[in-house]
Amino acid sequence: MKKTNLLKVLLASSAIVAAGESATAGMYDGVTIEAKLIGGQQYEGLYGRIAEWEAETGAKVDIISKKSHFEIDKEIKSDMAAGTTSWCVGSNHSSFAPQYEGLYANLNDLVSAETIAEFVQGNINASTVGGELLMLPRAQFDVSVLYYLKSNYEDADKAAAFKAEYGYNLAVPDTWDQVKDQAIFFADPPNFYGTQYAGKDEAIVGRFYEMVVAEGGNYLDENKKPIFNSDAGQRALQWFVDLYEAKAVPAGTTSYVWDDLGQGFASGTVALNLDWPGWAGFFNDPESSKAAGNVGVAVQPMGTVTRTGWSGHHGFSVTNDCANKEAAVSLVNFLTSEESQLAESAGGSLPTRTAVWEANVAAAKAGDDAFRAESLEAFAEGAKFAFAVPPIPEWGETTNIVFPELQAAIVGDKTVKEALDDAAAAVDELMRESGYY
Amino acid sequence: MTRRRLPEWFVLLLPAIVVIAAVVLIPLVFSLYSSFTPYKLTRPATLWKWVGTYNYEKILSDGKFWAAFGRTVLFLTIVLNLELLLGLGIALMMNKVTWGQRSLRTILMFPMMFSPILVGFQFKFIFNDNIGLVNNVLQSMGYNAALPWLVDGKLAMFSIIFAEVWMSTPVFAILILAGLFAMPRDPLEAAKVDGCTPIQTFRHITLPFLMPFIYIAMTIRSLDVARAYDIVQIMTGGGPARRTELLWTLMSRTGYVDSRMGLANAMGYVSIILSILFTIYFFRKLSAARAQIGMAG
Amino acid sequence: MDRNQTYRNRKRALNAVHFVALFITMAIICIPGLWIVLNSFRPTVEIMAKPPVWTPSFTLEHYRNMFGGAGEGGVPVFSYFRNSLIVSVVSTTIAILIGMSGGYAFARYRFPGKAGYFVGLMLFRAVPGVALSLPLFIVFARVGIIDTHFGLILAYVAMNVPFTIWLTDGFFRQIPKELHEAAEIDGCTRWQAFWRVEFPVARSGVASAAIFAFLTSWNEFALASQLTRSVGSKTMPVGLLDFTAEFTINWGGMCALAVLMIIPALVLTFLVQKHLIAGLTFGGVKG
Repeated sequence: MKKTNLLKVLLASSAIVAAGESATAGMYDGVTIEAKLIGGQQYEGLYGRIAEWEAETGAKVDIISKKSHFEIDKEIKSDMAAGTTSWCVGSNHSSFAPQYEGLYANLNDLVSAETIAEFVQGNINASTVGGELLMLPRAQFDVSVLYYLKSNYEDADKAAAFKAEYGYNLAVPDTWDQVKDQAIFFADPPNFYGTQYAGKDEAIVGRFYEMVVAEGGNYLDENKKPIFNSDAGQRALQWFVDLYEAKAVPAGTTSYVWDDLGQGFASGTVALNLDWPGWAGFFNDPESSKAAGNVGVAVQPMGTVTRTGWSGHHGFSVTNDCANKEAAVSLVNFLTSEESQLAESAGGSLPTRTAVWEANVAAAKAGDDAFRAESLEAFAEGAKFAFAVPPIPEWGETTNIVFPELQAAIVGDKTVKEALDDAAAAVDELMRESGYY
Repeated sequence: MTRRRLPEWFVLLLPAIVVIAAVVLIPLVFSLYSSFTPYKLTRPATLWKWVGTYNYEKILSDGKFWAAFGRTVLFLTIVLNLELLLGLGIALMMNKVTWGQRSLRTILMFPMMFSPILVGFQFKFIFNDNIGLVNNVLQSMGYNAALPWLVDGKLAMFSIIFAEVWMSTPVFAILILAGLFAMPRDPLEAAKVDGCTPIQTFRHITLPFLMPFIYIAMTIRSLDVARAYDIVQIMTGGGPARRTELLWTLMSRTGYVDSRMGLANAMGYVSIILSILFTIYFFRKLSAARAQIGMAG
Repeated sequence: MDRNQTYRNRKRALNAVHFVALFITMAIICIPGLWIVLNSFRPTVEIMAKPPVWTPSFTLEHYRNMFGGAGEGGVPVFSYFRNSLIVSVVSTTIAILIGMSGGYAFARYRFPGKAGYFVGLMLFRAVPGVALSLPLFIVFARVGIIDTHFGLILAYVAMNVPFTIWLTDGFFRQIPKELHEAAEIDGCTRWQAFWRVEFPVARSGVASAAIFAFLTSWNEFALASQLTRSVGSKTMPVGLLDFTAEFTINWGGMCALAVLMIIPALVLTFLVQKHLIAGLTFGGVKG
C-alpha cells in the first residue's frame, strides 16, 4: 500500500520534469529555436524529422548554421569568444564536449532520470563532464571493429604457407599480434596491403590511445599526468612502427585519416581494417566498393590485456543562454527519442539507446541481410569494450602535441622511446600550465 | 570665395583608407592586444589578463616554431622564384602565338579559377599514394612501387610546392603578358635595325620594361601567399611529423583547435612581420625598376 | 645548302619546340582541372578503383544527388550559388571603384608621405586570412553583420582594394601624362579627361584587376568559413565542405559542385577578356 503511494508520488514528480519531454499540441506556439547542426550526408536524414516536431509543438526550428564536424567546432569556439551564444540547440560530440566550458546546460536538471536511464550507460558517462550531463546522445555512436576480406581465409595454399611460416593456423585474427603477422604475410606492396591505420591528427592519437589501453597502460593517470610513455605505450607504438617498416601498410598511411582509410579498404586492396560503423554499408555496397560481397566483420582484436575500443558519439546540447530552454530540451528529446534513433540507425549508424540496440539486433537476425546481422553483432560485442577519451578540455590540444611525435617514430625520425618521451614532456608542461598539478 | 578643401589626392584615397581601417585595422589592434594575454577562445575572461610578452617569449624560444618559420621562408622563396620563372616563360611563349591566343589565355587562367581549398583536395587525391592519379600513371607505365608523395619529407614539400605553383603561376604569366602587350614597339624595332640578337633585345629592352610588372606580381603574390594555407592544410595538415609545417598551419592549429588565440596571435604577428619584410623588399625593387625606365612617381 | 635554307630550317625547328613546350605547359595546366570534371561524371567505385580504370564510364549520379533532397546527398546548391554571385559581383564592383580612385591618386599626384601611404595600404593586405578571421569575426559579431552578405562584401572589398590600387597604379603610370594634359587643353575637366582618355587606355589594367578581385572573392575560404554560417550566406567554397562528414569525403559529389563553381568563373573570365584585348590597343596609341 505504502509502496504504491510512494510510486505515485514519484511518478507525479517525474511527470512535472517530463512536461518538457512529451510535447503536447501547440504548446510552443510562436517559439523559434535557433539550432547549429552538424552537416554532412549521414547526419541529414534525421533533420528531415524536425518538421514533425514543429507540427506537434507549434514551434519553429531555425537552423542558423550547418557545417562539418571541425568547422562547427571552430564556429562554436568563436561564438564563445564573441559572446554570441544565445542560440539554443547545438550538435555536440563526446570528444569535443569538455572544451566548451560553461556553454551548455546540465541536462540532469532538465531531463527526467527515467529518460536518461533509457540510454546506454556508457554513452551517458561519456556525455558527462564534471558531473554535468552536457548532451543527449543521438544514434551516431562510434566504436571500431575489424573489417576483413573473407577470400584471404578461404585459400588453402595461403593457409598452408602461413602455418609453415608462423606456426599457427590462419584464421580471422583475435589479437593485435596476429593482425601484425597476417598483415605482413598478406602484404604485396604497392598492389595489396596487410592493413592500414589513421596517420595524423586526433585520429592517430586515438588509435594509439586505445592500443595503450589494450596493452594495459593508459594515456593520463588520475592526476592527468601523461603516462603514455610507459612500457605499454612503447609496445603500442612499436606495433605501428613495425607495420610501417615491414611495408605492410600503405606508405602514405601517415597522411591518412578516415576517408582515405575507408576508400582504401573499399578499393579491395587492404586485407584487415579496423574501422568505424558508418562504413559497414559502404564496404558491402557494389555501387561504392570493390570489396562488396567479400567483407567480413569481427569484433576488434585484443592487446596483451584487453580489446581496443576508443569510442565517441554525437549528441545534442542546449545552451545556458537559451531563452526558452524548455522548448529546446523538448527538441533535443525529440531528436534523440526512440523513434528518431530507430529511424536514424536504420541508415546503418549505431544507436545509443538500449531498446533501439535490441530492436536493431532482433530485426537484423530476423531479416535476410546476413551481412547486416554479422556486422551488427560485431558492433554489439565491440561496444562492450568501448571507452571514451579523457574528459578534459585539453584532450584535443594534447593530441596536437602527440601526433607529430608518433609520426616521427613511425617514419623513423626518432626512436619509439625518444618520441614518446618528447611527447610526454610537452604534454606534462601543458598540464602543468593548465593547473592540474 | 575660397573654401579650404581637402587635397584631391586625399579625397581619392579616402574610401580605400576607411574600408581598410574598418575591416583590417580594428581587428588587428584587437589581435595585437590579445597577443599579450593568455586568451583562450573557450574562456573569454582570459582576455582581460595581461601577461606581457609571455607568448612572444614562448614562441621565440620554441624550436618547433622556428622550424616552421624557416620552412615558411624557404617555401616562399622557392615558390615565388619558380612562379616567376615559369610565368615569364609562359608569357613569352604566349606572346609568340599568333592564332587562338584568346582561348589559350583563358586556359592559362584555368588554375586561378580554382578555390585554394579545392586545389588542396584535388592534389591530395592526385598525390594519394594508393589510388592517386600520379601513382596510377607511374604504375601503369611499369614502375612497381607506390611513391608516398604526401609522406616522404622531400616529396611532401615537392607536392605542396607543386600545388601552389600550379595555382599561382598564371598570376605571373597574365601580369607579365599584360606588360608585354603594353610594351612600346619603337625600341624593339630600333633594336632590330641596330642588329641586336633576340637575347640582347630581351635582356636590355624587354626585361627592364617588364620589371615593374614582375615586381607588382611578386609583391601581390608575396602578400597573397598565405592563401597556400588552405592547400597545405588540406593536403598534409603540416605533417607528417611536421615535415610540411608552415607558420600558418601551426598558427591555425594553435588558435582554433587548441583554442589558444593569444599565442596564435603572437605567431600571427611574427608572420605579419615576415610578410612586411617581403613586401618592403619588393616595393623597393619596384621603385628602382620604375626609376630605371623613367616612370618614378 | 644555302644560308636561307638553314635559316628556314632553324626557324621551323624553333617553331616546333615552341609548339611542344606550349602544348606540355597547357597539358599540365589543364589535366588536374579536367580530372575533376571527369571525376564528377564517374561512379564513386570507379574513382576509387585500384587497379585504376582508364576507360571512364559516364554517370550523372553525383549531379542528381547534389540537386536531390537533404539526406540523399543533396546540398542547397542554388542558395550557395546565389550567395557567391551576389558577394563576388558586388564586392568586385566596389573594390574596383575604390581601388581605381586610389590607384589614380598614387599614379598622378605628388603628395607628402606618398611612399608611406602606399606601403601602409599594401601591408594591410599582408595580414594572413587565418590571423584575421577570428578578430574580424568578433568585431563583426559586435556590429551584428555576421552571416550576412554585407559583412562578407565588406571584408572582400577591404581585401581587394590594396591589390586593385597596386595594379591600376601600375597601369596609369604607363600612360603618358601628356594624354590627359592634352585633353584638358581641349576643354575637358580633369574628371572628363579621366573617363574619356585615361580610363579607356587603362582598361586592360582595370580588366585584369577585376578578374583578380572577382576570382579572389569567388574562391575565398578562410574568411568566408568564419563569417558565414547558414544557407542564407554560405558561399560555394564553404559549401564544398558539405561533402565531408566526420569520417568520409564524397569526392564525386565534391567534384560536381566544383564544376558548378568553375563554370561561371570560366564564362566571366572569357567575357572580360574582350575588354582586356581592347585595352591592349594602347600599346599602339603610344607608338
